[in-house]
Amino acid sequence: MVDDDREKSPEEMLRVIEEQSTATVRLLRGDPLLLYVPWGVAWLLGFTALFLHYGLDGRPYAPISQMQGVAVLMAAQVVAGSVAAYGVVRMVRLSRGDSSARGLMYGLAWFAGMGLMIMIASRMTLQLPPYESGLLWAGFSLTVVAVLYMTGGAIWLQWPMFFIGAWVAAVNGLGVLLGAGWHALLTAVLLGAGFILVGGWLRLRW
Amino acid sequence: MSTEQPLPELDPVIHAQARLRVVAALNVLPEGDEMAFNSMKELLGMTAGNLSVHLTKLEDAGYVRITKTHRGRTPVTYAALTKRGRLAFEDYTKAIRALLDNAGGV
Repeated sequence: MVDDDREKSPEEMLRVIEEQSTATVRLLRGDPLLLYVPWGVAWLLGFTALFLHYGLDGRPYAPISQMQGVAVLMAAQVVAGSVAAYGVVRMVRLSRGDSSARGLMYGLAWFAGMGLMIMIASRMTLQLPPYESGLLWAGFSLTVVAVLYMTGGAIWLQWPMFFIGAWVAAVNGLGVLLGAGWHALLTAVLLGAGFILVGGWLRLRW
Repeated sequence: MSTEQPLPELDPVIHAQARLRVVAALNVLPEGDEMAFNSMKELLGMTAGNLSVHLTKLEDAGYVRITKTHRGRTPVTYAALTKRGRLAFEDYTKAIRALLDNAGGV
């Protein structure tokens, strides 16, 4: 592009400013398809498998063992985490300074939260029957997710992110109260499919 | 209504489309942040040479601060708006809006 010295009208210059500002905000905020949709897909697949194992009345709807359900969930979450991490790294490399430091600390908080959750749940799981143990893992991990989304909303002053966290907390809380089967069903539908829809909707507004 | 009142002057450093886009992009960054040269190049769709020329002009005017450093062994350049640059962009935007208001009032 050359230095365009041709005289532009004020309207044109204002439009240049607005378009450039919007494009920059979009770039710095990251692609919502990478940040939300992979988690939605992972939860939809994983918790549907677990729901089919638990059923709503204690009888499985499909011959899927708990370990197979957990394996589907974990594998899908690893893929989702990798895609989301790719999106975050791409965002972080764009700039440096206070925002990058904030992003790094936030990323480390995710590792700390999830790491601690795994340590505590691993110890507690041995004391519980399989049904309650599955609920402990699912409920605990979604608690970390909910709190960190809400915190993210507070850090970057993004109400949608905060409300998404609150929504995860509400669905998770209700599911834990109702039991493992309901928890899996509600998570698959309201959080799995929900995150896919939210990601798509945010992308349309992007 | 007549347009006899004096029209605001537009800062010639910013009043070139390419540099205006550079400044508008950098103005989005919060204070304390800098944007990588390569990211700017992609965002603005400019060649490295072209972007360098514009950044140098903006740096000479005191509107942009350039930092050259290394990420590992790779040299990386970062750019950020100075306080003066932010103020100049704010004044420019106000002036453009005033011109538009004037034109709208005719």
